[in-house]
Amino acid sequence: MPGVQAALSPSVHFIGAFDPMIRTFDIIMKTANGSSYNSYIVRGSEGVCIMDTVKKQFADQFFERLEKQCSYDEIKFIVLHHLEPDHSGALLDLMERAPQAKLIISGRAVMMLKALVKSEIEYEAVSTGKTISLGDKTITFLSTPFLHWPDTMSSYLHEEKILFSGDVFGSHYYDERLYDDEVGDFSYAFRYYYEHIMRPFKPYVLQALKLYKKYEIDVIAPLHGPILRMDPQSYIDKYEKWSTGAKYKKSIAGRKIVSVFYMSSYDNTLAMAEKITEGADAVDGIVASMYDLASLEEQNMIDLLEESNAVILGSPTINGDAVKPAWDLLACMPYLENSSKIGATFGSFGWTGEAPDMLQDRMRWLKFRLPVDPLKIKLIPNDQELMQSFNFGREVAEITMGKMVEMEL
Amino acid sequence: MAIVVFKDDNIRVKVPVGMSLRQAAMKTGASIVFGCRVGDCTECASHVSEGMILLSDKTEKELKALEMIESDIADLRLMCQCTVRCEEGEIVISQQF
Ligand SMILES: Cc1cc2nc3c(=O)[nH]c(=O)nc-3n(C[C@H](O)[C@H](O)[C@H](O)COP(=O)(O)O)c2cc1C
Ligand code: FES
Ligand SMILES: [Fe+2]
Ligand SMILES: [Fe+2]
Repeated sequence: MPGVQAALSPSVHFIGAFDPMIRTFDIIMKTANGSSYNSYIVRGSEGVCIMDTVKKQFADQFFERLEKQCSYDEIKFIVLHHLEPDHSGALLDLMERAPQAKLIISGRAVMMLKALVKSEIEYEAVSTGKTISLGDKTITFLSTPFLHWPDTMSSYLHEEKILFSGDVFGSHYYDERLYDDEVGDFSYAFRYYYEHIMRPFKPYVLQALKLYKKYEIDVIAPLHGPILRMDPQSYIDKYEKWSTGAKYKKSIAGRKIVSVFYMSSYDNTLAMAEKITEGADAVDGIVASMYDLASLEEQNMIDLLEESNAVILGSPTINGDAVKPAWDLLACMPYLENSSKIGATFGSFGWTGEAPDMLQDRMRWLKFRLPVDPLKIKLIPNDQELMQSFNFGREVAEITMGKMVEMEL
Repeated sequence: MAIVVFKDDNIRVKVPVGMSLRQAAMKTGASIVFGCRVGDCTECASHVSEGMILLSDKTEKELKALEMIESDIADLRLMCQCTVRCEEGEIVISQQF
């Protein structure tokens, strides 16, 4: 094992594992040059604390590095910033070697712990503000939920101003030179990681950054990829910029965006889409636009969906189903933040007409707010049905603008 | 029927006694986020800013789950674990922090 420059500071050392051969992470992410499972040891006058472990297959590397830094009976605490197997894989083994150590997890991790380790183990659950002491070293925990697991937390080592950020600020990028000022250009990997892992949780990212702001940070020690010590604030700024607000002028000007996505073979669903867009756009403060799914690339779908306050999706019913591009659009939703978007569905049909209902069902699972019933029109919409389409668009737009919806159950 | 207001969504709905807030949220399309739906995951935890006494009492299980995520749980409820218990009054709910 080549020697890495393990010391982040006088009392903190890297004891993680390198995985240069991994190419696909968590099914959804690609990495061109592997990754690392970072783990750290913090030494105080009264014992040591281990920050996370590694993926099970890499336990040997981890224990070898750990043994260079401490003996097992010195370990007072083991902290898991979240329970995902790429960081908890060597936990049970470690606890067997250091039975006196106290396991520290977040409150939200308690329910998951049993399901993950399949055995009873002792732990202490902590939340924001809870502090542990290693004599001359103090560590405070910060609850940073949903980044990217519900139980994610971060921690801060006061004496050396190091933030242990969990997967936040991570990159799948393997480089044994370890520090951002020593490794190659990993900025693409840093961005890619944000896009695939953190982007769906933007409000939680901002919430976490607010907590981090209370501390002076010299080094950020994430769980994957380079350790960030050159200009830690610049990484925080990037996360803030990517997670904040609207990209387009329209939403900066305080207007809300309604996007009408449709697909049409004989222009019937298209005719509805035009009227719906017109109706929505007639509402003050709304910018409504329509997009033909037949010609929309996936990345553009993701950007449009994310910017939209309301998504109105239309498909004809073809062989008892909505058309594939409509499903493909909805399949983009897991890549973005869905903080209470409004949804609605419509479509022309010939005899059964289940497509809008099926899309509406799927959108419910995707956590859209669906205030109106699907609009279905048999074959070619007549004048009255076109008017109905206009009103449908207007109603959805008004609700988007905050109109109170009254209902009775 | 009590009135439930889902503040984040501008939804105002009359809900019959005995119905759970999960059902009310699902039926109205309110944007409350649910996970397990049985009181384990705390994803549905929401703030009740008015009308807490119009809801069923917290069970031991709900108390325990809430205490794990927050130290002050006075106005917190798991939406999948509480039902409307009074005919009259207004319950105001928000999941935004
Ligand atoms: C190949 C094919 C299969 C269809 N399958 C169904 C179906 O299963 N159920 C239904 O209600 N309509 C079905 N239709 C009818 C269309 O939904 C109907 O023609 C509709 O008006 C088409 O709208 P559009 O061409 O404007 O998008 C089918 C049409 C075609 C061409
Ligand atoms: S949905 Fe899991 S606790 Fe309510
Ligand atoms: Fe993770
Ligand atoms: Fe990870």
